Amino acid sequence: MGRVVGIDLGTTYSLIALFDKATSGPRCIPGPYGETLCPSVVSVDANGSVIVGEAARRRLLTQPDRTIYSVKRLMGRGVADVQDELKIFPFRIDAGSQHVIRVRLGDRVFTPPEISAFILRELKSWAEEYLGEPVDRAVITVPAYFNDAQRQATRDAGRLAGLEVLRLVNEPTAAALAYGLHEKQRGRVAVYDFGGGTFDISILKLISTGEGDIYQVLSTSGDTHLGGDDIDNLLQSIVRDEMRAEFGLDLTQHPEAVQELRKALIGAKHELSSAEAATVKFALPAGGVYVREITRAEFEKWIEPIIARTMGPVKQALADAVLSASEMEEIVLVGGSTRVPLVRRTVEQFFGRRPHAELNPDEVVALGAAVQADILEGGVKNMLLLDVTPLALGIETMGGVVAKIIPRNSTVPASAQEMFTTGVDNQTGIDLHVLQGERELAKDCRSLARFQLKVPPAPAGLARVEVKFLIDANGILQVAARDLRSGEQRSLEVQPSYGLTNAEIEKMLEESIEHAEQDFSERQLIEARNEGESMLHATEKALSQPQAAELDPDERSRIDVAMAALRAAMAGTDYKLVRARVDELNQATLDLAERMMNRALATALEGKRLEEV
Amino acid sequence: MKTDEIRTASVCWSCRAASAGEHFCPACGKIQPLPYGTDYFTFFSLPRKLRVDPAELERRFHKLSWQLHPDHFVRASERERELSLERSSQLNDAYRTLRDSISRVEYLLAQAGLRKQGQQKQQAPPELLEEVFELNESLDELRVARKAGSSNGELADLRKRLETEQESFQQKLAEVDAELEDVFGEWDAALDAGANDALRSKLMARMNELLNRRSYIRNLVASVRQELAEA
Repeated sequence: MGRVVGIDLGTTYSLIALFDKATSGPRCIPGPYGETLCPSVVSVDANGSVIVGEAARRRLLTQPDRTIYSVKRLMGRGVADVQDELKIFPFRIDAGSQHVIRVRLGDRVFTPPEISAFILRELKSWAEEYLGEPVDRAVITVPAYFNDAQRQATRDAGRLAGLEVLRLVNEPTAAALAYGLHEKQRGRVAVYDFGGGTFDISILKLISTGEGDIYQVLSTSGDTHLGGDDIDNLLQSIVRDEMRAEFGLDLTQHPEAVQELRKALIGAKHELSSAEAATVKFALPAGGVYVREITRAEFEKWIEPIIARTMGPVKQALADAVLSASEMEEIVLVGGSTRVPLVRRTVEQFFGRRPHAELNPDEVVALGAAVQADILEGGVKNMLLLDVTPLALGIETMGGVVAKIIPRNSTVPASAQEMFTTGVDNQTGIDLHVLQGERELAKDCRSLARFQLKVPPAPAGLARVEVKFLIDANGILQVAARDLRSGEQRSLEVQPSYGLTNAEIEKMLEESIEHAEQDFSERQLIEARNEGESMLHATEKALSQPQAAELDPDERSRIDVAMAALRAAMAGTDYKLVRARVDELNQATLDLAERMMNRALATALEGKRLEEV
Repeated sequence: MKTDEIRTASVCWSCRAASAGEHFCPACGKIQPLPYGTDYFTFFSLPRKLRVDPAELERRFHKLSWQLHPDHFVRASERERELSLERSSQLNDAYRTLRDSISRVEYLLAQAGLRKQGQQKQQAPPELLEEVFELNESLDELRVARKAGSSNGELADLRKRLETEQESFQQKLAEVDAELEDVFGEWDAALDAGANDALRSKLMARMNELLNRRSYIRNLVASVRQELAEA
């Protein structure tokens, strides 16, 4: 058996970590370029090769129609669910999508679990390269507020990536595990996890017992579509409105420019976490430059409604745990979006306590997943995690009303037994509809599955079928039925309302074996060459512009030398060398890029009176 | 239901030694299947009493969690993994039910076939009929007044009347809870004294009636609260 790892499969970034026996602590594993954060971006190039991570992120600018980010937003969802997202995210949903969304990347079509599997595969290869041994089992984290379909989709992604998923762990709980190990905390802890695409709040109690420490989740709440992405989208819509007003420009016609702008605005957002103001300079596709200074105060005024949306779930979780804000002894911040000063201030004011942020908020979830992986391996023996199901489980009854059979915030595994019978003579099937959610009516809850209990023909009301609903430690539903008259187990054919069937996964697995996995360094080489190609292309384009004539001969020859060196490296097979040459060429063209930007600025400013500037 | 603990004798699936429904085989230590119909009190090795020390119950919950949780069976056989899932889900269900005094007594009565768990009686208890009638009248008046766009002063008066009536029902709820608490004590004493079925049945019937009254009043208070929030 290979090694077990912990994986944080995030909306914006994903990470992989392992438990280091030598130091008795978890650590994140770096990728080929030393970074532990792998952008959750996947791109498919013209010859069908899949590119993941930083290289794929760069291709968002050059090949947006072949590249996808934030795919986590689509996991476990149907086409009707994501209509709102489609207005903001450049997802190209295939027309043939039914109970599973299919996304088009260039001329190929993938389901969200397949795309997530590419990210998992990439991380797996990082760990295998780092360890020099195979990795075949993993603990993967999910937002605590993920429903059954979203969890199943994540587990399917693991399977498709060739990983046995030992456990799905809720992200805030994983963070608490990492903190608990690190800080030796005890008592009541609130974990505020504000990531790229999801928000979770979990209230935990950390208890020392004779056997060891128990991490008991008392309640959890959240929003699976609230995160840093929303801040980015808001900034974009504000700026695009301004561009339309100022330049009469509609950016929707320029998908590459949209991604360029998104990148610039994310940069400004990051800058505003430490600076009082940030300036966005953006060369418009039709000429001219948009320049905009954003102050911290202005930024905070804009995003305040987004931050405020996190407080509803926070209050709900406290109410469910029957605790008040002041009773919380520790507050832990997790997720990149908690770097925003307004988020920290809001949380601190609400709880009246300074939140913890000692551990890197990007890494802490992956670290916790590695701890749980080691617990399951039998390594760490004195820690136990008791988590809850975030949503009530119910069954549809007469008139479309939902009867709740397992309440939300029940410790998992949790179960419920229900008895069913027939309503008419000689009925041979009883239809069941299982749902998840807090609302009273089936139409307002999330459909999980429909299935039919088979019964032998008999007078009405004679059949006695007991159905056991069980939510396992992953938060995933299992259903078993037993005919009480015959004592026989009844097999169930559960058709998931959203998600892949077993047969579909098997088929995908077969296909992925056919497309034999490329060797790690071979894949890295392809990615590096792709990157070199786009760098050369961009440089050549720049050199053909009139401003290039202004370069002094030394600089021009430095660029030519760097281009030749990159071409030579690309002809070889050393991916690290290719990457180094790309960086060198990038360095050599910095002045050129600056000159072009200034020139564009000057052109834009020409003809404007001074007081307008 | 004479015995305070129901144990089902069986044989260990692994070593064939005799066991009496324990979580683990006394001989080989392997986790055991849950006998059909094992009740929540037995699961915690508790008598079927209604006054439960929450700290003690939590202590038992944590101890059993250590022993039964699926985390500790990841590398065990498939059979043991299934049994761990079965036992630990039962543990969590049992703890969820027994830690709250109302769901605890509802469970006890459901086991005795006296009520369906989570059942809500919609019929007004006879002794409350008059007051319920008045409350409903006030509710109607408020609705009509709101629709007709009555003056703020008029609405405020109606609100005040409703609030007073609501407080009276809140008071009744507290009385029902206190009364229930007393019957719990009587039930526990009856168990200790080895009381006969007749006394037990009488106590259960009384608790059932109190629970019906409680759920009725709670629904009433909730609907008034909602109406006041909307007004």
